[in-house]
Amino acid sequence: MTTATTEFNTQTAATPPAEILPHKAGRRLWFPMFLMALMGFGIGIVLAGFRADAVNSGNVQDTAALGQFVPAFMFIGFAAVFAAIAFAIARILGAFRAGGSGMQHATGNEVKTLTMPPTGRAFIGLMAMGMMLIVGAVVLHLIVGTLIATGSDSALSNSEQWSIWLEVARRFGVSTYLLSIALGLATIITVVRFQSVRIKEIVASR
Amino acid sequence: MTVAIDRITRPATDANPLAETGHRKIGLGVGFLGLLIAMVVAGLAIAAVIQVGDAGSEDTVGQLLAVAFGLNTVALATIKTGIAIILIGILVRLWTRAHGISAALPGLKAPTEDQVHVPASGTMETPFGTCDVTEKAPEALRIHTMAKTLWAPMLVMGLMLVAAGFVVALVWAGNIGSDPETAIGASAWAQGLQFLGEAMVLAGISFLLGSILGGLRGAGGSVQAGLDLPVQTLQMPKTAKVFIGLMVAGMMVAIVQFAGYIVTTTFDNAVDVATWFAFLGPLRELALGLLLGGIVLALATIGNVLGFQFWRIRGIITTGS
Repeated sequence: MTTATTEFNTQTAATPPAEILPHKAGRRLWFPMFLMALMGFGIGIVLAGFRADAVNSGNVQDTAALGQFVPAFMFIGFAAVFAAIAFAIARILGAFRAGGSGMQHATGNEVKTLTMPPTGRAFIGLMAMGMMLIVGAVVLHLIVGTLIATGSDSALSNSEQWSIWLEVARRFGVSTYLLSIALGLATIITVVRFQSVRIKEIVASR
Repeated sequence: MTVAIDRITRPATDANPLAETGHRKIGLGVGFLGLLIAMVVAGLAIAAVIQVGDAGSEDTVGQLLAVAFGLNTVALATIKTGIAIILIGILVRLWTRAHGISAALPGLKAPTEDQVHVPASGTMETPFGTCDVTEKAPEALRIHTMAKTLWAPMLVMGLMLVAAGFVVALVWAGNIGSDPETAIGASAWAQGLQFLGEAMVLAGISFLLGSILGGLRGAGGSVQAGLDLPVQTLQMPKTAKVFIGLMVAGMMVAIVQFAGYIVTTTFDNAVDVATWFAFLGPLRELALGLLLGGIVLALATIGNVLGFQFWRIRGIITTGS
């Protein structure tokens, strides 16, 4: 029988399918990431206070070193908060998958679940890319900051260039991450649309 | 205004669930446009860093970085606008789904003789938290009404501030080298305005998530009431309460950083300006971080509410009550 859900790529089973890895990760990791974000922002803002003091007292070395450490910790916060958002979206997608299949099973029908849509795959890919860009920039900030703090003249004289390069990476990482979040939310639209159609299909088959 | 906003977010009860609403495609299109702008920003910043390496003019480096700063915030606001459009699409889709469930459940629920006893009013424990049981669908919470009314004005005002800040960033770039005092003043205004705008855009997104939570609550109540069943509604979870707190804190910090930048325009000492800027930069990021933290908790709450609703629907189908 041709059904409305043929527009979607689905898999059919007699019982609800097992939870998939991204949904499991979403369920387990959103809260630890949220806590890590709060810690990153907290440490970053405290260091910003020390940096303002260093600027005011004219301490060039501390100003430059903290100029690397402050964005490092603030962006540990951003990387973690974006990861928490992405994992919370994965958790919502998991709730739809588990709930929708459980509901179909309860009606005595075969259980149709959506295979991961292209937006879902792009969501995971872009999220990984955004995360790598931000975390890579954070690691380099920490290395440059440590070199400056331990007295490297070369690192101190090149600190402006490093700051600009790493800001480019951070900014682009944030844009990529935000777009991945948009893709994750777009996947929710596809899932809700499929479920609405599936409910209608179940009623029509009775 | 609430009525006009309702028209945007609530589809007709007989809306075709198969029809595309366009929110997904438009939202993603706007998001990709934002990424393109971010690529231009990266190009400008790379040009600046090459100038630094070649010992080029400090003024040129400053001008490139000023334009890159202004344009970067525009890129981020554009992607967030795409996210907001997709969230509106989710809201519309959730209502279409609720209408579908309302129409389907009478034919799917277990016969009346199989019903198990559920108190007509009071509270009960569920795997997803404590829920209230009432005879009628509950009224909308004040926070949900507020979210439904405020998401659009917040988004629009935020985007206007980001755009105004970008124009000021161009003034900042144009005065580097020729009029340093005006350039420093404009840089303070551009940073303050654009980050207040970014915070308002995020607040708009937070209110949209609040509207989704309100929609889930309202739709869940009306589906159960329509079946003459005791209406079970999840009590506001802790994550939702902390979400509101973080959102308020984030907006307050965003206003403080804006005020701080305005204060710096009154300074006539460059060291004082640099000292304040050293703290205000991270402070404005903290404001966005708090708002984003609130968004995490709103999404977590939505996940929990969805779990509860599916659990409730399964209960209606298998036990009829």
